[in-house]
Amino acid sequence: MDLALPADTPSPAHARNRFHTYVQIAMILAVITGMELLLIFLPFPKPLLIGSLVLLSAVKFMFVIFFFMHLRWDRALCTCVFFIGLVLGGGTLCALVNLFSVKDSIPLSYQP
Amino acid sequence: MSSDAATAALAHPHDPATATGIPNKKLLLWAFLASDCMFFGTLISSHLVYRQHPPPGNPVATQVFDIELTSFSTFVLLMSSLMMALAVNAIQRGKVKTMRGSLLITALFGLTFLGCQVWEFWHFVYEKHMTITNSIFGSTFFTLTGTHGTHVAVGVLWLLSMYAYSFKKGFDQRNAVDVESMGLYWHFVDIVWIVIFTAVYLLEYVYPVTPAR
Repeated sequence: MDLALPADTPSPAHARNRFHTYVQIAMILAVITGMELLLIFLPFPKPLLIGSLVLLSAVKFMFVIFFFMHLRWDRALCTCVFFIGLVLGGGTLCALVNLFSVKDSIPLSYQP
Repeated sequence: MSSDAATAALAHPHDPATATGIPNKKLLLWAFLASDCMFFGTLISSHLVYRQHPPPGNPVATQVFDIELTSFSTFVLLMSSLMMALAVNAIQRGKVKTMRGSLLITALFGLTFLGCQVWEFWHFVYEKHMTITNSIFGSTFFTLTGTHGTHVAVGVLWLLSMYAYSFKKGFDQRNAVDVESMGLYWHFVDIVWIVIFTAVYLLEYVYPVTPAR
């Protein structure tokens, strides 16, 4: 390896292997997006559909961050730093949505 | 040490210039993206909270949305992520010309996404009469998707700047961290859209809510 290169630059052989991985992942992402579109028109129970959509988008999300964003090959610190923000943001989202989904959160003016 | 571990060690040796072993530019980008996660987390939760109890006069999302167009722009953004990954891969292999081509296609996909979003906004405002001020749904929707669109626009400017910068004498494999840091930002814009596409668009078709009378 050329010593003048940045420390985290992969070797040429490694980079060549990743090229095919990226193309395969992009195809998987496109197929998953197509599945999501199909799902919304299927007559399945709501919880099953919502669960499937959340799962599929989580799979897409993980593919992008671990392969396209190189977390799979990078140092664990990068994953830790990003997941701190992700857990805080996602936790805030879940907490607020649950908090405001209770009946008492319905504005009085909207109630029959 | 196995051959895989040896390859990995060769690919990611400790960077003696930093205490973490990660180039500072890259670590800074990851910290920024973590903070942006929290930013988008609040915007998405605002939209989801307000959609649960829509006030009288709120538009019905499924009558406003054009899911075919949004699906197309989602596909375009996913493919732009592929081109960005290929650009980073090219510069890591020292292929500057290939990287330039990939960067241009990525920027073109980004502009296509922005074009779709502008058309969508125009359609919502002038044909569906949903503006940022006339309903809560409009306020949260335009704020969220508009903020994301601004991120895409910044990303396109960054891509075009990097394209121009790549013509500077001496730009080579040693600049891979610069391109990779820009790639991280671009992929982040993509993952935010993955969440928005499900939480804002697809959810309306699966779990619609009707405004109070």
